[in-house]
Amino acid sequence: MNLQTTIAATDNQHPFPWGRWGIRSVALSYLLVMLIIPLLVILQDGFREGLAEFWRQVTLPMAWHALKLTLWTSALMTIINTSMGVLTAFVIVRYDFPGKRFLNGIIDLPLAIPTLVTGVMLVILFGPQQALGAWLKEQFDFSVIFAPPGIILALLFLTFPFVVRSVQPVLMELDRAQEHAAATLGAGGWTIFRRVILPPLSLPVITGALLSFARAIGEFGSIVIVAGNIPLVSQTAAVYVFGEVESENRLGASAVSIVMVAIAFTLLMFADYLRQRSKKRNA
Amino acid sequence: MSVSSSSRTTQIQIQNSFVEWRDRNKAKLGKWILITVVVAYVAFLIVTPITALAFGAFEKGIRASIASLNDPAVFKAFWNTLWISLLVVIVHAIFGTVVAWVFVRHRFPGRNLINGLVDMPFAVSPVVAGYMLLLLFGRNGILAPIIDALGIQVAFAMPGMVMATLFVTLPFMIRELIPVLEAFNTQQEKAAATLGANSWQTFWRVTFPALRWGMIYGVTLTFARALGEFGAVLVIGGGVQGRTETATLFIYRALDERQYVGAYSAALALGLFSLILVMGSDWLRRKEH
Amino acid sequence: MFFKFSQKIILAVMLASLLITGCASGNNNATQAPASAGEVKLILGAYTTPREAYGEIIPLFQSYWKEKTGQTVTFEESYQGSGAQSRAVVEGFEADIIALSLEADITRIEKAGLITNDWRGKPFGGMVSTSAVAFAVRQGNPKNIHDWADLAQPDLEVLTPNPKTSGGAMWNILALYGAAKRGHVAGYTADDKGAQDFLLAVLKNVTVMDKGARESITNFEKGIGDVAITYENEVLVGRQAGLNYDLVLPSSTIRIDNPVAVVDTYVDKHGTRDVAEAFVDFLFTKPAQEVFAKYGLRSPDAEVAKATAASYPPIQDLFTIDEFGGWKEATPTFFGDNGIFYNVFGQVQGIQTSE
Repeated sequence: MNLQTTIAATDNQHPFPWGRWGIRSVALSYLLVMLIIPLLVILQDGFREGLAEFWRQVTLPMAWHALKLTLWTSALMTIINTSMGVLTAFVIVRYDFPGKRFLNGIIDLPLAIPTLVTGVMLVILFGPQQALGAWLKEQFDFSVIFAPPGIILALLFLTFPFVVRSVQPVLMELDRAQEHAAATLGAGGWTIFRRVILPPLSLPVITGALLSFARAIGEFGSIVIVAGNIPLVSQTAAVYVFGEVESENRLGASAVSIVMVAIAFTLLMFADYLRQRSKKRNA
Repeated sequence: MSVSSSSRTTQIQIQNSFVEWRDRNKAKLGKWILITVVVAYVAFLIVTPITALAFGAFEKGIRASIASLNDPAVFKAFWNTLWISLLVVIVHAIFGTVVAWVFVRHRFPGRNLINGLVDMPFAVSPVVAGYMLLLLFGRNGILAPIIDALGIQVAFAMPGMVMATLFVTLPFMIRELIPVLEAFNTQQEKAAATLGANSWQTFWRVTFPALRWGMIYGVTLTFARALGEFGAVLVIGGGVQGRTETATLFIYRALDERQYVGAYSAALALGLFSLILVMGSDWLRRKEH
Repeated sequence: MFFKFSQKIILAVMLASLLITGCASGNNNATQAPASAGEVKLILGAYTTPREAYGEIIPLFQSYWKEKTGQTVTFEESYQGSGAQSRAVVEGFEADIIALSLEADITRIEKAGLITNDWRGKPFGGMVSTSAVAFAVRQGNPKNIHDWADLAQPDLEVLTPNPKTSGGAMWNILALYGAAKRGHVAGYTADDKGAQDFLLAVLKNVTVMDKGARESITNFEKGIGDVAITYENEVLVGRQAGLNYDLVLPSSTIRIDNPVAVVDTYVDKHGTRDVAEAFVDFLFTKPAQEVFAKYGLRSPDAEVAKATAASYPPIQDLFTIDEFGGWKEATPTFFGDNGIFYNVFGQVQGIQTSE
């Protein structure tokens, strides 16, 4: 057997004894059981009385408002998170300052804290009876907790690592020659940032942003504590679904869940599409 | 005329060095403004809430805080959380590797759809996840006859909580492994094969070591997420004390019982534990490079 | 081989922390005695409010049962919003005994075929404790809240839970409505229109709607809101826990009746019928009733009620769920899809919530 045939033969080898289709069926059944079946169940439940009833449940005033609230708070949060995320990544990669290592370490902290605890912490800190909350209330009639700003705050905390960690590695690998060239041509810092640094970062920025948005849509544990949950005012879609599950409006719960999952799924597919496209470009 | 031209030169030199000094300091000022903004944001958003939590936990002193955790109910809850999370990590480590392998090394129709599906649990609200499991395994659930026949209880029992946690943590391992597998150069595998290694040996001694960072980070994220799961286990488990109570559900109950020191202390312990894992693996990875 | 030395150290630390926690928890677990023949386990599913009361009653029952039969009873308890608990049982939570906030939640379990016994035939119609809807206000009552009408004043922040998930919330709304309809709210006509106008006025002031009655009152304790509409016994238990706020009893309010029942399907499945029924019967006896009274619940037992009369001032106009034709009619009328509550609630936001 010569070298070529040996190499050709190894292309078909697998570490698992059952061969190509064996391993595929293992992977597929795992995904089927863990993912596909639960999702099908919800789909079936939401549409069991037809499209008209599905739509009626979704457009009930309380449901519709909850969906709108979820979308705009998540969107606003994503904008803030993305800007601050890029800035934070930039500062950590490019600058040196005392406490930088500590800062870099705590960025991952939100991933380690259960969402329930996040909610509790925010109420302790920014609740209307605390110093900061009371002051804001008096001066600006601005309530943080038990109002949409509280929702945005909780979501900002939770999704903070996503954009930062998405941008950081790419920023680190960036070739600085172009920036230096731009500087010698007389470009100021902001121009350099906008036209030289940002474009190659656009993919990780968008991916991180979409991930934050998708994550925010489904958030429950912190929101249920922080938001006030008043229907038509401060009740998000996830909290609405919980209420419907608990009061036996299962169809409504499934219908709204389907909408939430569909939105998040579309976003994630879009992020994936961008990732694939950039890979093809760079290949 | 030479005198004025030389003084002109000096003037220009002085002007230039002043402009340089100004620009350098503008850049420096700019840099420090940015740093301050970021530090202030992180301090406000992340550090202050954690500090508030620590204050809440240690309100009556460190000893009181530790004493509140020295309770059989707390131990049971943490024990439940721990073994659910370990089980979940093991399952995902094995099957996640398989899925990542199939995804990277195989071509088949529907491959891209699978890719999107894997991210799904990330976007599904935990309440919805718990509800889906109820639809399947509740008393009137679709699979109820099967599990009744088998005599196992899924809803409002540990198996349900494990399944809920499996669902919400699914993406992490796969997402970490796919890029690592994709970047891996198969030349080494082929070389090993020509040297007479069979496929299992090749995997274990050539491919797997290269995957270790993806696996470690995947394991860490999976574990941290599993430790903190709340919404799904609340819906599918019911929070029965001693039976289906996890650490997060215990915190929830402690808050209801006005045991604030206990609640905050448990929260702090849970957070600290996850933090050690997350920061630990970060550190490991950095030491490597 | 895989890792540098420094990395091995860090890995070791991580593993160690895992193992230590695991062993500590596991050990404590292992020291618990395994179930034996002389042991039986009962699962209790209750609503959030009587948590402390059951905390004291259960040990009493355990010693009573041990003396009587020599058997050791262990309890597994779950406390959630009444509706949530009821639903959990229907979905498969195998509670042997269910103690809920309102009859409608027991009816749901009956309808699912899980309760077949005549629980209403027990003493006091199966109601093991009663309470009344009342207000929790800040110490010293700075906002001068003395009756329902005061809740509609402008710039007042009111807390009440969400009726979708909380039985307590439903009692609150019905108390409010009933008091207005019976003419005890100044400024509103004593009919449905007046009651709905009053409901609208109060709902305008609601700032937080929690999942359950207990969450609502603990929020109030954190300093949120000026007044919480809640169970009288929640306030009393909170004060017992050392928190300082005042109780205000309105002139007219609804009597909250809390039912208890054995869940037939599950006691037969677990083989715990004897113990479970004994426990339910025990709840109606003097010792248990006295504990309920101790924890802020008004006892339906006339003797215990008389003995504890000092803590429980009489209520001027006390009506019951019969005012609304029982839960059978009240639930759909008020809390159904086109129910009165959701209609009025929509008006608060200026949105039509029904077709």
